[in-house]
Amino acid sequence: MSLGDLLRFSGGALFGHPLRSVLSLLGMSIGVASVVLLTGLGEGARRYVIGEFTSLGTNLLIVFPGKTETTGGMAPLWGGVPNDLTLDDVEALRRRVPSIRRAAPIAMGEATARRGDRIRQLTVVGTTGEMREIRQLELNIGRFLPETMAGRGPRVCVIGCNVQRELFPEENPLGKILHLGEERFRVIGVLAPRGMSLGLDMDEIVEVPVVRAMRIFDQTTLFRVLIEVRNRSSLDATSEAVVEVLTDRHGEEDVTVVTQDAVISTFDDILRVLTAAIAGIAAISLGVAGIAIMNVMLVSVTERTGEVGLLKALGATDRQVVVAFLAEAALLAFVGGVLGLLLGETLAFVVGLVWPKIEIEAPTWAVLAALLTSSVVGVVFGVLPARRAAALDPVDALARGH
Amino acid sequence: MIRLTGIRRDFQVGDQVVSALRGVDLMVEAGEHVAIMGPSGSGKSTMLNVLGCLDRPTAGSYELGGRDVSRLSGSELSRVRGREIGFVFQSFHLVPRLTAEGNVDLPMAFAGLAPKERKRRIAAALEQVGLSHRADHRPRQMSGGERQRVAIARAVVMQPKILLADEPTGNLDSKSGAEIVALLERLNREGLTLIVVTHDDDLGRRCRRLVRLADGAIVSDEMNEEARAG
Repeated sequence: MSLGDLLRFSGGALFGHPLRSVLSLLGMSIGVASVVLLTGLGEGARRYVIGEFTSLGTNLLIVFPGKTETTGGMAPLWGGVPNDLTLDDVEALRRRVPSIRRAAPIAMGEATARRGDRIRQLTVVGTTGEMREIRQLELNIGRFLPETMAGRGPRVCVIGCNVQRELFPEENPLGKILHLGEERFRVIGVLAPRGMSLGLDMDEIVEVPVVRAMRIFDQTTLFRVLIEVRNRSSLDATSEAVVEVLTDRHGEEDVTVVTQDAVISTFDDILRVLTAAIAGIAAISLGVAGIAIMNVMLVSVTERTGEVGLLKALGATDRQVVVAFLAEAALLAFVGGVLGLLLGETLAFVVGLVWPKIEIEAPTWAVLAALLTSSVVGVVFGVLPARRAAALDPVDALARGH
Repeated sequence: MIRLTGIRRDFQVGDQVVSALRGVDLMVEAGEHVAIMGPSGSGKSTMLNVLGCLDRPTAGSYELGGRDVSRLSGSELSRVRGREIGFVFQSFHLVPRLTAEGNVDLPMAFAGLAPKERKRRIAAALEQVGLSHRADHRPRQMSGGERQRVAIARAVVMQPKILLADEPTGNLDSKSGAEIVALLERLNREGLTLIVVTHDDDLGRRCRRLVRLADGAIVSDEMNEEARAG
């Protein structure tokens, strides 16, 4: 039997029982659609997260006090008490590592902010003007913090857009006074909406000069230092130089430097595994769909006993009978798979309309795997019914058929 | 053409062995027109199945066209059925979802003939049975007589050595039955070896040779001068 004959014969048999065929197609379609949609969601989430990190700039180093192994975790217990990471350290880095373009120290804490009778708890980020370039911060109005780290720093602050809305409703905050704890700060700028970035809601913070922040919170060590290198290729060399300079100053290696890449690749790995796990769960439904196909084929063989007898009388070999019934099962599975693919992509498109932030796109491997699995499932679960058909005794089959 | 020697066919029924055929010898020459008759239980269905290579004898040998087919493997038997034997059944056994053309095409599809040749033969076979105008009809849209004619076209399209007809008029009214008989006899006159299995005396008397079975053995085998003249 040629392939054309086979498809015509098996396809015709499926059309002979439209409802039954459509129901088993549906089972397979839903299985494949769920693989496509769920891996699409996983992949979309991964891209979203990676995109968020990449938007920080790819030539970024993050320095923080304490030596942690790359596995992370219990650094202070193992590494001992680290020396403070100070503003002098930052100054030294700028001076001694020429591949550093900018360096922004960060001190962080919570403080009660008060404006008139409005009070709320805010995250206070102490930094310098270089922060603006490093994080590519946009301002709605006003200007950013001054560059300087020297002295006690002016009592000025830049507020997030939500802070403005809540503490300065219906007034221009520029030049107004905001109380942070015991101290008074003059508002000099308002940040443009940015949302979550590096785990911090940028719309809900107050930025003040780093020296002021350290005083408010009575801190001697910086929380982080963000370093932007001059070009991406010198990222690793700069990282080593930073460690070297700080080791030299502290007398021991007690800081950790991570690159943006390391952070991204960790998230990347986690989300990839997650996507694969989701795909695995969705694939279970493919197995269920396969059993449905087997059931339909068994019914079909029983019903068409007479036809099987006839085919044998007309010279069909057992092999040809097996192939004809296998082709039916495989057709069901494959067509179901293709329909499922279309269904999944359509749903992904609809979800994308509702939730435009995450771009849902099933990875190619998942699409191919879903199609392949559905076809293989069809063939595997079609084997038993097909063999049962081929094993029919032609004499019995002809007699039972009518 | 056909030489049966000492054919036995035993069936296991419970713990008993029942012999449907007990030592049958039969020779059929090419171009003969033979009726195999007998009451139900006489073994004529088993005889048909053995002759049609649908069933294998328990003992004895079956030579078809000079070749012993009684010990062939399953797929070799399929080939023999496909190429050397045509079947016509009482209940037609057409595939309901296929058109007349599609039904006639089936044995050629299994035999793997070239599409062009298949087209030509379908047209010729349907012409032969007078159904060219019904080529794209499905069995449901045809009368019993027409269905049986499609079945005959399908049986001869592979140009078999013998045509086995199992009660070919059993499901037909007398007029369509007569037409089918006339068609089969015409094919026989054109050289096809025709073996009709029936319990219908009228049908049997039309054959030139009459083989009667009872209890799994041949009880009479005679030439029918009347039919030969006709």
